[in-house]
Amino acid sequence: MGEVIVITSGKGGVGKTTSVANLGVGLALLGKKVALIDADIGLRNLDVVMGLENRIVYDLVDVVEGRCRSKQALIRDKRYDTLFLLPAAQTRDKNAVTPEQMKVLCSELKEEFDFVLVDCPAGIEQGFRNAIAGADRALIVTTPEVSAVRDADRIIGLLEAAELGDPRLIINRLRPDMVKRGDMMDIEDILEILAIDLIGVIPDDERIIISTNRGEPVVTSENGAMSGQAYRNIVRRVVGEDVPFLELHKNSSIFNKLKKMMGLGG
Amino acid sequence: MNKQTVEFKGTKEGVTIYCLDGISLEDIISDLTIRLQQRASFFAEAEVRVDVGSRQLAPEEKELLASVIGKHSKMKLVAIQTVSDRPPVVSSAGRRSGGIDELKMEGYKEGRSLVIKRTLRSGQGIHFPGTVVVLGDVNPGAEIVAEGDIFVYGTIRGIAHAGVGGDRSASVVALRLAPTQLRIADVISRAPDEASLLPDQPEYAYISDDRIMIASVTTKLGS
Repeated sequence: MGEVIVITSGKGGVGKTTSVANLGVGLALLGKKVALIDADIGLRNLDVVMGLENRIVYDLVDVVEGRCRSKQALIRDKRYDTLFLLPAAQTRDKNAVTPEQMKVLCSELKEEFDFVLVDCPAGIEQGFRNAIAGADRALIVTTPEVSAVRDADRIIGLLEAAELGDPRLIINRLRPDMVKRGDMMDIEDILEILAIDLIGVIPDDERIIISTNRGEPVVTSENGAMSGQAYRNIVRRVVGEDVPFLELHKNSSIFNKLKKMMGLGG
Repeated sequence: MNKQTVEFKGTKEGVTIYCLDGISLEDIISDLTIRLQQRASFFAEAEVRVDVGSRQLAPEEKELLASVIGKHSKMKLVAIQTVSDRPPVVSSAGRRSGGIDELKMEGYKEGRSLVIKRTLRSGQGIHFPGTVVVLGDVNPGAEIVAEGDIFVYGTIRGIAHAGVGGDRSASVVALRLAPTQLRIADVISRAPDEASLLPDQPEYAYISDDRIMIASVTTKLGS
């Protein structure tokens, strides 16, 4: 029996889809059987980021409306045999699916897959409710900006209300140099407000944009991209390994403080 | 899933049924029905009180409770009480020694208070006709509105409005007072536009000369 994980943020553009793509590929690299569901009906992106756009025949709405079986709609990834994508419909909207239908779909998929990752749309309306309906746990993506953190806080509250407890936090697009100058919120500031456990910090990295445009998630990159390493570490934490946090900036004290806070020693 | 919604307690006057907080009346009634059916013979014709906690029941809701008890048991319902009707607890230590004088306190006995044991997050809000106590933070975008005082054992970064309805003696106390806006009765103040550091000690906000003043809890108490 697999596990359904929803990746959500409240705010748009903080890196939910990029995170889903990278975690999906990362989990597949560990040999896990993974299904990615794009729940952003009407504004689908995950297929593009995965480079699978041209293979879509059926989509999520076709599955829940019974026009095809879920197996027919699942697209196998180009490179990884154990990675599949269930794309969103582009010509419909969020109301085309109900939370109950998503629950049924997720429980069906987790029979077959080790991990089902749901890419949640921005916002807190129907699309959000659909995306979290079948989830066993949640990862929240935020960037070190007050607006993104505020929205993440709102999302945590809504997840609590939906009894989807103990979400983990991904801080995306951190710029250690800006933090050092005092121009960007640091990890501690964010954790102090959100008060949930951190599962990873992704440094700001232009290679993410390049890889996204190419449809090849950065997690696979062998060129020593820090962002790729950060995603690989999150993947290992998702499967339950205890991985120390990356030192994003030499001589920076943030991570030492963080480690101390998390009881990992200096 | 099946969490407890009511608690039966025997007292020398009879039986008291406590309706636990945070559970809808609907759930309580359905659970109560089941329990009464199971144990009707055990309680026989005892006198029963129903304690609804901090809920404010409408007359028809009270009737509904009474009818459930009448229908599924032979107990005699003598009262439906709330938190404020509960008898004060006398500590056994005080009674035994007999040497402790009861202090003549100038404070008030708060009838209604709400204790929230979690952090209020953006978009979450409380409006309560009494005192509100939060064991947790009040994050930006969250709002507490209380007719009485507000006590936060954590950081207030959101909005706190004490004494809504006009009580100018109300106050807001927090371990770290850094609200986006603070209101007491009809007086409003807001955080300075330039970012300021989080205070390093518990503070107390109150009205003095038509303005909201903030003082360290220790100075205020010492004055």
